[in-house]
Amino acid sequence: MSSLNSRDSFVIEREVKPLDFLSAGETASDFKETLKSLGIPADICRKTSIVAYEAEMNAVIHGGGGIIAMELEGDRITIVAKDQGPGIENVSLAMQEGYSTAPDFVREMGFGAGMGLPNIKKYSDELDIETKPGEGTTLRIVIFLKDEGGVE
Amino acid sequence: MKIKDILEDLKCVTVHVNPERDCEITRGFTGDLLSFVMGSSPDGALWVTIQNHVNVAAVALLKEIPLVLLASGRSPSPELREQCLKEGIALATVEMDSFDLCGVLHGMGIRNRAE
Repeated sequence: MSSLNSRDSFVIEREVKPLDFLSAGETASDFKETLKSLGIPADICRKTSIVAYEAEMNAVIHGGGGIIAMELEGDRITIVAKDQGPGIENVSLAMQEGYSTAPDFVREMGFGAGMGLPNIKKYSDELDIETKPGEGTTLRIVIFLKDEGGVE
Repeated sequence: MKIKDILEDLKCVTVHVNPERDCEITRGFTGDLLSFVMGSSPDGALWVTIQNHVNVAAVALLKEIPLVLLASGRSPSPELREQCLKEGIALATVEMDSFDLCGVLHGMGIRNRAE
């Protein structure tokens, strides 16, 4: 793994617009390209892009848009996804693969399969969900730079 | 197998975007749920799907998928075609359904898992 020093620390922040399926995925792609350009190992780039994509799609589909930030500092990448959507009523249900509250038109596009949060959990090292019905959701996701093989 | 060879060997195929780089593909994946593809597809695999909208390109880009095959004769949306062109992702429509198409690809030596 390439070694990172304090000069490499940075934060990127992107705005995600509600139901903007045309631009969806651009934030995750931007994050991945940035990490790749810094020589971050491929497996870490892959995990980060998966969790960023899922957080981005949650903000697009459910969150009424939001802000997604990626911070690279020290031994970790932290992604914070903040929206002001309806919040998650039942977090433990939302963490179950297959559970979804997405509307039909979104499901027909192949989204809303109830794999967003489970994928984030699966590909991250730490996941913290702060949510309140009516007040939005903030995800704080950590991926450690030490590549231990990860999930196949 | 090279992308161009795969496209040449498939029957009833309409190529919408030619490969930018004719890279070697050994692995494949099929799925229409985008999060499933994001979470489960091997990087660099070809992807068989019936989803034909622009977000297919976003997933393909993130998973470094060099070739998307739209099964069951599905035509890409103009936005998908345009995005694949921009990102250098090869895109083609195949008349066969996903099941038969995967069978043919398997016969060409394309596998889900690395051998």
